[in-house]
Amino acid sequence: MNKLKIPIMGFTEEQETFRNEVRQFIKSEKETFESQVDSWLSGYSPEFSQKLGKKGWIGMTWPKQYGGKERSSLERYIVIEELLAAGAPIAAHWFADRQTGPLFLKFGTDEQKEFFLPKIAEGTCYFSIGLSEPNAGSDLAAISTKAERTENGWVLNGMKIWTSGAHLSDYMIVLCRTSPKKPDRKHEGLSQLVVDLSSPGVTIRPIKYLTGEEHFNEVFFESVIIPEENIVGQEGNGWKQSMAELAYERSGPERILSTFPLLEELIGTLRENKDVQGMGESMKLLSQLYSLRHMSIGIAQLLEEGADVNTTAALVKDMGTKFEKNVAEVARLIIASHPSMTSDVRFEKLLAQSILHGPGFTLRGGTTEILRGIVTKGVVAE
Amino acid sequence: MSDMQEIILDSTNKMFKSLCSKELIDQLEEGIFAEELWSVLVESGITSVGVPESLGGTGGDYNDALHILQLYGRFSVPLPLSETLMVQWLLADHRVPASREIFTLSVNLKNKIEIEETTKGYSIRGKAVHVPWARHAKSLLVLVNFEGASKVALLPLEQAGVEYNSNLAGEPSDTVNFESIDVENIFLEDVEEEKFRMKVTNLGGLIKTAMMSGAMEALLELSVLYSKEREQFGRPLHRLQAIQQHIAVLSGETVASVTIANKAIQAFGKGMVDHEIAAAKLKLSESAGKVTEIAHQLHGAIGVTHEHRLNQVTRRLWAWRDEFGNENYWADQLAEKVMSSNKESLWEMITDRPVTKVPLGEGIK
Repeated sequence: MNKLKIPIMGFTEEQETFRNEVRQFIKSEKETFESQVDSWLSGYSPEFSQKLGKKGWIGMTWPKQYGGKERSSLERYIVIEELLAAGAPIAAHWFADRQTGPLFLKFGTDEQKEFFLPKIAEGTCYFSIGLSEPNAGSDLAAISTKAERTENGWVLNGMKIWTSGAHLSDYMIVLCRTSPKKPDRKHEGLSQLVVDLSSPGVTIRPIKYLTGEEHFNEVFFESVIIPEENIVGQEGNGWKQSMAELAYERSGPERILSTFPLLEELIGTLRENKDVQGMGESMKLLSQLYSLRHMSIGIAQLLEEGADVNTTAALVKDMGTKFEKNVAEVARLIIASHPSMTSDVRFEKLLAQSILHGPGFTLRGGTTEILRGIVTKGVVAE
Repeated sequence: MSDMQEIILDSTNKMFKSLCSKELIDQLEEGIFAEELWSVLVESGITSVGVPESLGGTGGDYNDALHILQLYGRFSVPLPLSETLMVQWLLADHRVPASREIFTLSVNLKNKIEIEETTKGYSIRGKAVHVPWARHAKSLLVLVNFEGASKVALLPLEQAGVEYNSNLAGEPSDTVNFESIDVENIFLEDVEEEKFRMKVTNLGGLIKTAMMSGAMEALLELSVLYSKEREQFGRPLHRLQAIQQHIAVLSGETVASVTIANKAIQAFGKGMVDHEIAAAKLKLSESAGKVTEIAHQLHGAIGVTHEHRLNQVTRRLWAWRDEFGNENYWADQLAEKVMSSNKESLWEMITDRPVTKVPLGEGIK
């Protein structure tokens, strides 16, 4: 079961000091934002993103020549954890920092790196990820959006759906067909294109979420002209590139801490009320959080070492998102209340956000069922 | 993990693998003690790992010992290893030299043991319940009442009456009766009762956590193997989607359990334990119910037969999850820690480094 081995990591003295620095910054900003559940998806604040950019906390692991700070991925882990735990508004730059930047670093041209990375690191350039389509959800091989090569560049036609934050982004990385689908090789012929969302022919229609808020969108491409050089990586290699991105996004703290602000509020309230019984009931959540966090940190370390974490990352995503949901279920039973998005009571509001955001946790980044298939394949293959 | 530790664990793994057969484990339930394997353990020094060499022990640290106990759990070793180690560690704090004997201990609140001083030495009277491996052990470490005060004593078991009983796994869990037994000399030390109980519970909780995490690894291995070998509807079980869901959940619970157990072991080894043991035993005891259910569901009828290796593991998990505190006990312990923490927020409690506390080594007091 070697694929399932996760190292136990501790943070160094310097890293602890750094954590404190991040924590102090967030505390000093506390008045400028309202802590919320799932803030990496719904907490949109370009001002806050720019402040983080100034601090050097976006793209912080990237090379200095592209605006990065060449810090370790465990330091990045600390920043992300602190921000999520505080429910800080980080949605604006989230996908650019987590996925697009690393994608360019790995597969991008020098021009792409020089043009995009510094802006992303400043917290001024936002991306969304165009994977899903109406007929291609978990089954991305069914993608039918296509780009044809012409003299003027690529001509893109098709539609993406469930794209988080597209209405607030500058660009989208679109996975599309650049050559016809072959029945026996359905993952071939897909490529990734950078699409400027202000281009003529792009229509973005926000979809209202369960909360009534707008997080994701339908995006239509009607003969959108995209410059030849906007292809990322190799033509036809889009599937593999996208899958590599997914492994990175599955085991991060955002798969464990989306509802942490509610848990914090729950425990805080129980402490204040000296409710020993309620506290006891909530402790199973805490022990789960401890184990998930140490798994996630261990995987971050393995990623840094370049190890294959496909199986364990899927495993953390599956368990972590279940945990995120469970926080809401346990909280509502311990403290009876009337959850409401518009309540003045913090607990009720965070609870409402947690319940209504809940179904999304186990869908985005791979459904529970798909992930479990990946885990089993990995475990059985040994 | 140090190179040295890797070598120790590697050789222990090989030893358990080759010597600890299913039949040997079966024999325990038929009342046959695995003498030969015990001798091998004694000779190899495993029964006194963590006792300093200056006291005649094998040396090494708690980390080594706890990872050995993880392997013990993985192979369902049918011997009183954890009890012997625990007693030796507690005695080593009092500079009592290491021994090749079998020890056991019991801090059960239902124990009522009185010790009186006599002209020839001491007289022991009373009863201790749920004493693991008492029928095979030479001495019992236990809390006693001596002249109206609580003390910790190491009592010889040769003359004691032992009523046989066993836990869910068929491991001995006996009742010991001392009917006015006279001894010349015994180990008898002052103790702060509550503190001592807490110390033994913490240590026992950590040890069971280590053993359970090893057992869960075995459970996962058995289940995966079975899902590859067994065919239904014309293909191996693991190709069926419903089974895949089970294997994934089983893998998840196992990895989460092993990770939090390793975290607690590491923290203990560094003497930096705060909430780690409570969180780990809570998690392991909770997961034990889940993984055993899944493993049995996956194995179908064959798994519930006494013939199959599976039940040796699942019954141990069911037994161990209740020993040294079930999940509710540890949830309360953890709740108290959170309640009395001086940290401003839960997040600070979770992320801040634990204060250095030396869990053993401060004597039985």
